[in-house]
Amino acid sequence: MKLSWMFGPTMEQRHLLYVYVLVWVVQGGYAAWVAWQWWRTRPQDQ
Amino acid sequence: MERPRIAGSVAVGWFLLTLAMIVYATRLALVVAPTDALQGNVFRIFFYHVPHSMLSLVWPYVNLVASAGFLFWRRRDPLKALTADAVAVASAEVTLVYASICLATGMLWGRVEWGIWWTWDARLTSMLVLWLLYVSYLILRQLSSVGQTQTLAAVLSIFAGIDVPIVYMSIRWWRTQHPAPVFMSGDPDAGVDKSYYPAWEANILAWAMWGLLLIAMRYALERRRQQREQDAALKAIEDSLEFTR
Repeated sequence: MKLSWMFGPTMEQRHLLYVYVLVWVVQGGYAAWVAWQWWRTRPQDQ
Repeated sequence: MERPRIAGSVAVGWFLLTLAMIVYATRLALVVAPTDALQGNVFRIFFYHVPHSMLSLVWPYVNLVASAGFLFWRRRDPLKALTADAVAVASAEVTLVYASICLATGMLWGRVEWGIWWTWDARLTSMLVLWLLYVSYLILRQLSSVGQTQTLAAVLSIFAGIDVPIVYMSIRWWRTQHPAPVFMSGDPDAGVDKSYYPAWEANILAWAMWGLLLIAMRYALERRRQQREQDAALKAIEDSLEFTR
């Protein structure tokens, strides 16, 4: 089964695509932000 | 030096395993699970919405237990209290991420199925209250300057802990526009077809693993910040002692 049915003009298709993209962007973005903050918050003696 | 290296290897291994699990669960949700007879493909929103909703009611209890630990240890053992506070702030942020996704994905589904983005029914409103409590929790931690920030935040987390069972029970106590409970409803006629089980189980497990990873990462960051603040405070004391000599 191909995923081409997700990329269409109807509201069902658009909203389904938005949900999956939104979740990956928000979760990935938050994880990247935490990793970036951890990287630049180095202990002072280093 | 050995312990951080082992922790780093475990974190990378857990990250890769979680990522593989998310890809597998997403494939089950979008490709393998059959199309719903009533809703069509828009039903597949639930494979992401439901795990995030369930877990946004689990992480607040991590926050609550850690906050209770902070309140217990803050005078008895300040080092343990700092550890508990790091867990509390990590779980609060992850709760906010999950609750935000729950609300946003629910609205995107509601617009298609109900024709409206939002309605003030008991489930949606109590979930919005939980979201607002965690927004205020994090704003309080960011902006408060009274020196009692962690204690005030820990007390606020108790209110969030009270709201969680209200959110969970809202679709049982009241007749709501939100769909009735599907899992653990007690109704033998309720539930979903067994062909959907693998997709549900995989997505719940995948997003739980991801949430644990985020809490661990955010905890590590908070511990680093605490360490840096302690180092800065010690250096300031040393500098002031040298100045007075």
